[in-house]
Amino acid sequence: MSQARLRPGSATPWLLLAPALAAVSFIVLLPVAQTVWLSLHRAILTRPRDRPFIGLDNYAALLADPLFWESLRHSLVWVVATVALQFALGFTAALLLNRSFWWRSAARALIVVPWALPSVIIGLTWSWMLDFNLGVANELLLRSGILSESVAWLARPDTAMPAVILALVWQGFPFFAVTLLAGLQAIPAEQYEAATVDGAGSWRCFIHVTLPGLAGVIATTLLLRMIWVANSLDVILVMTGGGPGTATHTLPLYAFLKAWSGLDFGYGSALAVVLTLLLLGVVIAYALRAGERA
Amino acid sequence: MRLRRFLGTEVPVLLILAFALAPWLWMILSSVRPERDWTTRPLAIMPATLTLSHHIELLQRTTFLQHMLDSLVVAVGAVTAGLLLALPAAYAFSRFRFRGRSTLRISFLIVNMFPVVLLVLPLFILLRQMGLLDTYFALIAGHATFTLPFAVWLLTSYTDSIPVELDEAAMVDGATRVQALRLVVLPLMLPGIVAVALYLFIASWNEYLFALMLAGRDVRTVTVALQMFIGENEMRWGLLTAGGTLVALPAVVLFLFAQKRLVGGLTGGAVKG
Amino acid sequence: MPRDISRRAVIAGALAAAPLAAPRAQRGTMIRWWYHFDNPTATPDALVQRFEQANPGIRIQAERIPWGGGADYDNRLYASVVANNAPDAAMVKLQNLTRLLDMDALAPLDRWVDAWPGRTDIADAMWALHRSPDGKRHYVPVQYVVLYLYCRQDWFTQANLPLPTNFDQFLAAAKALTGGERWGFGMRGGAGGHDHWASFALGGGASFEKGGLVTPQALAANRWFVGLGREHRVFPPSAPADGFRQVIDNMKAGRTAMTIHHVGSATELVGALGDAIIAVPVPRGPGGRGWTAFGDGSNAVFAQGRNQEAAWRWISFLSAGEANVVFNQLSGQLPVTASGQRAWTGHPERFIRASSESVPLMATYPQSPKTTDWTRTVWPQTTQRALLGQTEPDEMMRVFERHFHG
Repeated sequence: MSQARLRPGSATPWLLLAPALAAVSFIVLLPVAQTVWLSLHRAILTRPRDRPFIGLDNYAALLADPLFWESLRHSLVWVVATVALQFALGFTAALLLNRSFWWRSAARALIVVPWALPSVIIGLTWSWMLDFNLGVANELLLRSGILSESVAWLARPDTAMPAVILALVWQGFPFFAVTLLAGLQAIPAEQYEAATVDGAGSWRCFIHVTLPGLAGVIATTLLLRMIWVANSLDVILVMTGGGPGTATHTLPLYAFLKAWSGLDFGYGSALAVVLTLLLLGVVIAYALRAGERA
Repeated sequence: MRLRRFLGTEVPVLLILAFALAPWLWMILSSVRPERDWTTRPLAIMPATLTLSHHIELLQRTTFLQHMLDSLVVAVGAVTAGLLLALPAAYAFSRFRFRGRSTLRISFLIVNMFPVVLLVLPLFILLRQMGLLDTYFALIAGHATFTLPFAVWLLTSYTDSIPVELDEAAMVDGATRVQALRLVVLPLMLPGIVAVALYLFIASWNEYLFALMLAGRDVRTVTVALQMFIGENEMRWGLLTAGGTLVALPAVVLFLFAQKRLVGGLTGGAVKG
Repeated sequence: MPRDISRRAVIAGALAAAPLAAPRAQRGTMIRWWYHFDNPTATPDALVQRFEQANPGIRIQAERIPWGGGADYDNRLYASVVANNAPDAAMVKLQNLTRLLDMDALAPLDRWVDAWPGRTDIADAMWALHRSPDGKRHYVPVQYVVLYLYCRQDWFTQANLPLPTNFDQFLAAAKALTGGERWGFGMRGGAGGHDHWASFALGGGASFEKGGLVTPQALAANRWFVGLGREHRVFPPSAPADGFRQVIDNMKAGRTAMTIHHVGSATELVGALGDAIIAVPVPRGPGGRGWTAFGDGSNAVFAQGRNQEAAWRWISFLSAGEANVVFNQLSGQLPVTASGQRAWTGHPERFIRASSESVPLMATYPQSPKTTDWTRTVWPQTTQRALLGQTEPDEMMRVFERHFHG
């Protein structure tokens, strides 16, 4: 621990944090509090006068709801698969884009294209590419002989989830590519030089210099991305609407449909709160494991 | 040597870029295809005839460019506001140890754990009461605050990777904390700031829910404009693909310039890894 | 807004306007009207101009709201009512009616409609379909479409099949025309596909009354429908996820022999298929019963508005005479006025004829707040499961019965 940090009782950090805290509290905290409050009532949007307080009844109903558990399962698969694949692809890209080659600037700029497209475009384009009749995916797979007949990717429960995962991996891997690339810049070249002098090859350099130097950024980006993916529903909504059947129902999608299709804001809010608590659990576990970083 | 670099670096990059760009290129190809050719079978990968009619219609007969501008204003505003709020907060979390630090960091993040779709209605009512609906401010405020926790966490971790010894060395040399921040830490944080700025830009640029509910008439972003091409009984693929082609460009162009900052801070971009 | 600022603004405004003010008896009212047109380049500007010229003192602020599959439009509408920010008038559908009434959002229009000369130009049957459950009138119809059966006339002729008028003929044709890369019927299993199901289930004897979805007749009709997909395989494999875009594209690409839709897609299909495409009313079930969905579109006046009479004048303008014809040229649907229908040339004649022949079969879904959730979520999910074999057809009907009647 160094002197620059140990300043117990200083007001400086709080002053620095004040603007951010104020902005968040004013605009975000109030809606969050209202939503939590709403989850304790029976709240149908179109019946504003009929809002009885029902305590934890929504939560009890939720635990007994098989679709809740199914959505939770799908969410787990969804988050783990998507984030892992996004990370793998993004990290590889970051390492490659850190090297020198003459068209590096163009490559770096172009890699953000998937990330820079709105969800509606992504959902529609991927739906179209995977279309049974007119999709280019089926066409190419048929022509190359990999498939003998077209597959209705989005209409089959066994292929619908992998299809949306593919679309999300495509959309999100540039996030890791850019953030990890930025993180790589903070690793001093001396460390690489020292390792090479000690006789380390590129693999050992990677394990002993790159990974430790990047560990903090990796952990943070994985955590943030996990939270983001867990909450995302735009692309799934456009591509499958949660179907076929309930094959691509994730927790936020279920909450959204309950609130905005069924207009049952009480139940929808309860689902949202449960999702938040689950994510909170993961974050706290991470914080405990990481401990206080020196 | 060059061959090794070509095979070991440039070929993998090409492959990854091919994956990243293929759907977008397909969209571009579709946008120059006449409408009747979209549903002919067998499917022609390369268009038999080319047409710019969709792009012309998009630019001349719709207000799409205007909406790109609206989106740009909101996104730039969100990036500015976001960075101004997040930088001091990140510095505080990274360089100070104080009671409640850990709890505060985590509760900060709770906001992002909530599905935004359920928060939009109370926010709508709040902004309506404040008379701020359909203004640039509403969207910038909405975007900036909802991306703030992520931005703070990311910036904190970038700041953490800059050794605190550098601050100390500067202060030992007589610099105040602010000078140390400005002259030593901030330049090294530049790659991280670029990454976070891009994240904020893209998050705002792609945002649909707030743009739909909190604005729409005086301020209409490009995500809402694209939805106008999807109707009850008709989907204007030509306009959608032409629009989809254009909508990715601002972020790409901005990052083309900003990525120059993504070079090693301490020694200036030597070949690594 | 803080009171002192608004006072200052009013005074400043008055002072600024004084030298410029032309003598004017009234300030003029501003009516906010929400609409959605499929064609992004179609605007109601000409109609607004014409109305404002004929009604000095009323200004119309027409705001286009994204449709978003219906969900976005509806959500904005409900949110604006909840936040006390509703427009003066808006385009609405019957699916919104009970929800808006629950929120006390609509202004009853009876006193104006009863005194309106344009009322008689709209058929009584049309008015009856738009009456609210409490007997009052809140909706003024402005456009409509009715669903019919598209057929590939050329394939039918080749295979020597009659265009189907009943279920048996339909099944025979669908089976005969399925083979290779063609399927007999392009069924829409995604959201919005309930219209397809309804023609067969309700046409076959089911009804939305209490218990009407689980009678032996209803269950049999539904089993027959699901069997089309699972036993006879006349639906393409993508059917569970297909939306209107896919079923129309399948017709255009020559993959399906029949599908159900309405005049909104007629021009597009003729563009791709020419004379090969034709339409007939949907087949009738056993007992001669037929059921086809009614694609409605109306305007309504909102109770929160302070200029309801002016709002009424605007929406009644849109549903009368030439304005209604122009409106439907913009929206791509059919005029509701008898005079407009007689002179309509907006779509090829054979489709207009199929639409009029389908009017006797036209019906609506139950006026219940549960209907929208059913059409948007419950129907697609349950039907998709049945088509995939995850649920028994009978169970599907029981789920629907429980949803509506508990």
